[in-house]
Amino acid sequence: MTTVVDYPLSVAELYQYHNVIGLLSASGPGFSGPVSLALGPDGLLHVASRANPNQPEGVRVTRCTFDGDYVGEFSGWGEGLGQFIWVTAIAFGPDGNLYLADENTHRISVFTPEGEFLRCWGELGDGPGHLNRPSGMAFSPDGTLLVTDSLNNRMQRFAADGTALTAWGETGDGPGQFNMPWGVAVDAAGDVYVADWRNDRVQKFDAAGGYITEFDGKDGGSGFARPNGLAVDGEGRIYVCDWQNDRVQVLDGDGKVIDTLIGHSGTSKWARTFLDANPDIEEKLNLATQNIELKRRFYRPAAVTVSDDGLVFVADCYRHRVQIYQRL
Amino acid sequence: MTTVSAETTNPTTNTQHSQRALLAHLMRRSGFGATPAELDKYCGWGYDATVEWLLHPEAQPGLDEDIIERYYIDWKESRNIEGALTETVYRMNGNAATRPLREKVALFWHGVFATGLAKVLHEKTMLNQIDMLRQYGLGSFRTLLEQLARDPAMIFWLDNNFNHKDAINENWGRELLELFSMGVGMDGEENYTEDDVQEAARAFTGWTIDDDNVASIPYGKTPWLFRYDPDDHDDGIKTFQGETGNFNGDDIIEIVCRQPATARFVSRHMYNFFVADDVQVPAWQNTPPADPEAIALLEAEYFRSGYDVRAMLRVLFTSEFFKAESARFARVKSPAEVVVGTLHLVGDLKFPRVGVMDTALECRYMNQDLLNPPSVEGWHTGKEWIDSGSMVERINFVADELGNPAHPGVRSIVDALLAQDSRLDASATVDGCLELLGCVVLREDNHAALVSQAAELLENGADTESVILNALRMIGSTREYQFA
Repeated sequence: MTTVVDYPLSVAELYQYHNVIGLLSASGPGFSGPVSLALGPDGLLHVASRANPNQPEGVRVTRCTFDGDYVGEFSGWGEGLGQFIWVTAIAFGPDGNLYLADENTHRISVFTPEGEFLRCWGELGDGPGHLNRPSGMAFSPDGTLLVTDSLNNRMQRFAADGTALTAWGETGDGPGQFNMPWGVAVDAAGDVYVADWRNDRVQKFDAAGGYITEFDGKDGGSGFARPNGLAVDGEGRIYVCDWQNDRVQVLDGDGKVIDTLIGHSGTSKWARTFLDANPDIEEKLNLATQNIELKRRFYRPAAVTVSDDGLVFVADCYRHRVQIYQRL
Repeated sequence: MTTVSAETTNPTTNTQHSQRALLAHLMRRSGFGATPAELDKYCGWGYDATVEWLLHPEAQPGLDEDIIERYYIDWKESRNIEGALTETVYRMNGNAATRPLREKVALFWHGVFATGLAKVLHEKTMLNQIDMLRQYGLGSFRTLLEQLARDPAMIFWLDNNFNHKDAINENWGRELLELFSMGVGMDGEENYTEDDVQEAARAFTGWTIDDDNVASIPYGKTPWLFRYDPDDHDDGIKTFQGETGNFNGDDIIEIVCRQPATARFVSRHMYNFFVADDVQVPAWQNTPPADPEAIALLEAEYFRSGYDVRAMLRVLFTSEFFKAESARFARVKSPAEVVVGTLHLVGDLKFPRVGVMDTALECRYMNQDLLNPPSVEGWHTGKEWIDSGSMVERINFVADELGNPAHPGVRSIVDALLAQDSRLDASATVDGCLELLGCVVLREDNHAALVSQAAELLENGADTESVILNALRMIGSTREYQFA
């Protein structure tokens, strides 16, 4: 595989490809179907891998530097306390701990950044505080946690100790209704953005759950196809993982598409190490005659997050890597 | 035997039962069985309308691919054989209510055009082949062979990527004739010569694939792709089956499809899969069909329809030899039929959940490792499915599933019987279960044993629900349940 050394620009040239972290791996340096990202108070990138059902060790949270240096990981495949199987989302709370959602046990588990289990809450159901496949999480400025309660088609707000506070939403496609929502993000004002997955839109609510507006990606763009991961940066730009379109759409605060990231992956540090140790595999990769450009692009991007200095991290789920762009 | 006693004296309900039993038979063969509610629906449509519905799966909705991708993120590229097998079983079960024949035909052709991951080692490419069988399996046999010849998994499986104009590899050319279309021989005669094999191989030189060596690391796999390389194609004159010309691969397929041997071969495979167990394929050259008239009917339709699989299956499903009482429960279920049929009946795996792989692997434990047949000859069928180990797996799996009231399909059966009478007697309990499981017919002694056991449980104070659940488990453990 030829190392890509250029730093291409996004479609509207507001962003520049920066670097890539990743390697298909069920343990150690690498990811296996990364579905969520979180920037820790320790200055590290945390990446949750969903992996294969027959690779339990691949289901894990990996910690690495923004430059792609592997720091560590924690896992624990199972349904016991501190264990998880279908991880969907991770988020850091104001207490500095890592909150993890598991769609299998319908629980939110809390860990130290190093992976020491602290506590958990949640059980299957549709009553207050119950969950049915929690799939997105984001902390509000007031320190409360918003959880996308996907199969209940609602949003729930919890105190950091797991106390259920409020909920809103119901099944449907009207304002304030959802169809299997996935990602969630909160802006500096506390407004909430929900990826209303099967309705192909992003809904915006105030902190109390009051419907404000919705975006379908057609203002300045061609529309969303099953949007999932969301982020809002300090300037109010909204980042939408346009999952089935294999791209990340950048919207201004009014919902107009202002740029599109498509993926420009080169060879990551981990991949380089692996290929240097396995020249026969690199030789085979270099024989490829088709799909070469395709392999650089996003393939089902599942999560996005933005650092304070404008680095945009995208979990390139089906390519087992995190592609990073720099806001210009 | 399967009806409650009150119905046996009523000609109307006897007729209804007869229609229901016939449709249950149709669904076991053309799909993966039917739930009681589905049988109600099919009875309302009638037999011929149900057959037409089966033959046109393209009019039915497919699975929610977005939901599959969301929950089973590893399936998009399927990095391991277990994942690929799981996806196959999930799709068969998911389509069992809406497009059963499409799945069943894909399973049928998968057994005929047996391609295996033991060699292919690229799961997504293998799954793409199964998708191709779904897409083309009910259409023209000629088109199906043309697609098969371009299928990357098949090309790799039979070494056609090593079939060069200056050094032919005859593997694909041979198996195309021997195992995929004409068969070695029929009526004691041979269907082709060694020269035919060589010439067919020459015609397929340059039919190759790209990217078959590309590793999954660092960023996952990409599908293999068919490529025709004109520079590596033998453009010379060939003589095949007595015809001479500048044949390319599609010309060979066209000639193959015109042969009576191909009509016989396809018809016999259909009969073996959909009607009754035949002897194994290698014996076909010297063993006449069990039902020559049925085979002749299918052969005639093969030519009349222009090699149309759908038309042949219409003839098959509406024929008297298929509908006959003697044809029912005359085939040993394949492991896929056991597993998917039971899952469909109990209503499990209709939405993604953890643990699906453990369920899907039951097929492997019962000796049918889907996507990984034992050889290019495929699986031997009929009683060869059964050995002591696989029989135990079959019984344990079915009994566990049918006896689990948490499954919506089981719950529905229990509730339906309780709604008839909250205090069913032993005979009504067993007969009601047999009816709702798809008009299953038991041998007299087995039936008597189940009724006796149910009576004993009732006498000992067991509640009706637990007696029903026990009857379901016991029916799943019978010899008869293993037959379609």
